[in-house]
Amino acid sequence: MKSRVIKWIDQRFPFSSFVKHDLTEYPTPRNLSYWWNFGFLAGFVLVLQVATGIFLAMHYKADVTLSFDSIQHIMRDVNFGWLLRYMHSTGASAFFLVIYIHMARTLYYGSYRAPRELMWWTGQGLLLLLMATAFMGYLLPWGQMSFWGATVITNLFRATPFFGDQVVVWLRGDFGVGDATLTRFFALHYLLPFLIIGGVLVHLVALHTVKSSNPSGIDLAAKDNIPFHPYFTIKDFYGLGIFLIVYCIFVFFLPNSLMEPANNIPANPMQTPTHIVPEWYFLPFYAILRSVPNLVGGVVAMGLSVMVFSFMPYLDRSRIPGGAHYRPWYRVMFYLFVVDMLVLGYVGYIPPTDQSIMIGKIATIFYFAQFVLLPFISRKEEQWLIRCGLPPEVETLIASEAKEKNKLPHQRRIGDIK
Amino acid sequence: MKKLIFILVLCCSSFHAGAAESKLEQIQLETDLPAVERGADALMNACHTCHSLKYITYRDLVKFGMDKKKVSDWRGDQPLDTALTSQLSDETAIQSYGIVPPDLSLIAKAREGGPSYVYSYLIGYYITPEGMTGNHVFPETRMPDMMGMSGATDPVQRAELQAKARDIVSFLAWAADPHEEERHKLGYYVIGYLLVLTAMLFVVKNQIWSRLK
Amino acid sequence: MAESDTLGDTDRRNFLIKVTSVVGGAGAAAACIPFVASMNPSSDVLAKATTEADLSGIPEDGVHTVAWQGKPIFIFHRTQEEIKAMEASDGGLDPEPDKKRVIHPEWLVVVGICTHLGCVPNKEGPGWTCHCHGSQYDDSGRVTRGPAPKNLAVPPYRFIAADKILIGEA
Repeated sequence: MKSRVIKWIDQRFPFSSFVKHDLTEYPTPRNLSYWWNFGFLAGFVLVLQVATGIFLAMHYKADVTLSFDSIQHIMRDVNFGWLLRYMHSTGASAFFLVIYIHMARTLYYGSYRAPRELMWWTGQGLLLLLMATAFMGYLLPWGQMSFWGATVITNLFRATPFFGDQVVVWLRGDFGVGDATLTRFFALHYLLPFLIIGGVLVHLVALHTVKSSNPSGIDLAAKDNIPFHPYFTIKDFYGLGIFLIVYCIFVFFLPNSLMEPANNIPANPMQTPTHIVPEWYFLPFYAILRSVPNLVGGVVAMGLSVMVFSFMPYLDRSRIPGGAHYRPWYRVMFYLFVVDMLVLGYVGYIPPTDQSIMIGKIATIFYFAQFVLLPFISRKEEQWLIRCGLPPEVETLIASEAKEKNKLPHQRRIGDIK
Repeated sequence: MKKLIFILVLCCSSFHAGAAESKLEQIQLETDLPAVERGADALMNACHTCHSLKYITYRDLVKFGMDKKKVSDWRGDQPLDTALTSQLSDETAIQSYGIVPPDLSLIAKAREGGPSYVYSYLIGYYITPEGMTGNHVFPETRMPDMMGMSGATDPVQRAELQAKARDIVSFLAWAADPHEEERHKLGYYVIGYLLVLTAMLFVVKNQIWSRLK
Repeated sequence: MAESDTLGDTDRRNFLIKVTSVVGGAGAAAACIPFVASMNPSSDVLAKATTEADLSGIPEDGVHTVAWQGKPIFIFHRTQEEIKAMEASDGGLDPEPDKKRVIHPEWLVVVGICTHLGCVPNKEGPGWTCHCHGSQYDDSGRVTRGPAPKNLAVPPYRFIAADKILIGEA
């Protein structure tokens, strides 16, 4: 019966061949570490956010007079409404955490290099969509932080040449952030996740064309690839278990630690809270914005700080495999970059003082300097490594993989790994 | 990975700790029914005339398990579904205090420091050298010292007032997050289940991967 | 890759995978509960599941309509003649004695929704007429002319005072 149904479908839709090609026999490098789990986790969080979001939207009201009350209605009256909302608000943080780790892994192992540039760029597009979605979603509770966050960020568009003020009014549909803004942010907050799903599909098609990178950075021959199922399905599920434990600790025991207290006060356009900060995942970029003492300059610097990652495939001139794994100079740069991000995040969080602004400026210059200097450093590092010789195990690995590839194609099929 | 998450958690918590006012008196909240009920009693007498709790209805108080007779004393002849609105109109409030007293439903979550802030604020009243009442935590406050903290010099009396303030905070913490207890209870089950499931997945993963060698 | 497992190992492994799948599946199913439950009436809606109605203001032969769970409830203060007339018959299409439809004969409490397709009937002369499709009900809410198949429903209610009823709880 089952086989007849599948046969019927297969004559009309490539179901079995899809499962075979992209799951049961999809060749995956066997040496992937747990850092490769985060793509799957990001996909899981996306589904979680869409699911909780749809059910929250059944109770939410996008109207300035009702939205704050409707959130309280969800938190107090709706069955498990508090759980859905805390899952959604914690999920936003979880999404960024997972995506940032996913990006850090790509940077560390140099996975953005040829032939995976398109994966890196679709990922960059997804990051922008995610940021836009998170930002718009943050307005919806209509608390003080929501309101002033949206006010500040929409005001950034004043930096638009010639039409700055008009663009800001157009974005808001009002002279300040108001009812029109709230309603359109809700509409877009509901729309963008579906664009993200589309983007993820493109990201995955690209992945299945170029296949996963791996910690060695060397394109592995067939003997070192194993089928995705069951090896990586189970590994992804195990990773998911660990992730869910951390996630649930936050959802059930620390949900308010990720929310600003001021957002429990309804939006008041007449009074700005004394200390306004964005959510933690925007802090480094916010610090860069604050470090430039000029509106247009700050906006450009902030935009560039996010977009500059796109240039990585061109900025990194080294052909040594394995990213930071076999490249000591690049590894130092990577860790300095992570530290720099944490410093910027802290500077973005604390209220500005002369001292913190100074630190922020230095960290901002350092942030961009890394990207600017990368082409020279990576080229010099490559020359240095070739002169001193790569670590012996890398040489053996490259040699053995190259030898394997000379085999006839039929000997390199996945089935041969048994 | 775990290390990174740990560092991040640490960062988050240190951010919050750093921002919270260091002069706040940290309190250990009592969340049991008697404490919350005593707090409700104190609040209905001292605060409710001016402050509303618009997201709490009398029905919520009964559902939480408070004494039905007490609740019907508080609500008088209003229906059970009435919210705890204040008796002070906005106009009168502005005339007498210059501002509308804030709604207290979410106050325990709406200040940096949470319940500790509210507690420290309530017991933070003192007499300034000029003979006025001041407040250590919120110097610009327009609220009069309703509990008489500033005038209390006797240690026994002060301890009594502090206990009363603690009860009020217990009630306000419940009002700000009425599902907290339920959330924690469910959380233990969920995390317990996840630990078991993850352990099983770990064993299965090792078994499946042992096929390769 | 060498298949080194003995038969016993394979069995144990498959058993473990099955158990893990069941445990994981049960968790996934349980995770659906909050989502499904969130679509049920929330506690503030449930709080409106009962309605208190004051009868003191209703004159003899007068009808008051109150809302209960969003539905109209007719409270009809019947005169002695009307009570006698109703007790004399068993209604028409859906026979039922009047005594079974009231707690105190002078107070008729019925859900004001036509049992045909859900319109609200109007009080006209003796009884009610539904203008959607012409069904008629008598002063006991019993259907006397189709197309309605059943008498007007009697909601669960009880007297909490001499002139106060609580609709929604028997």
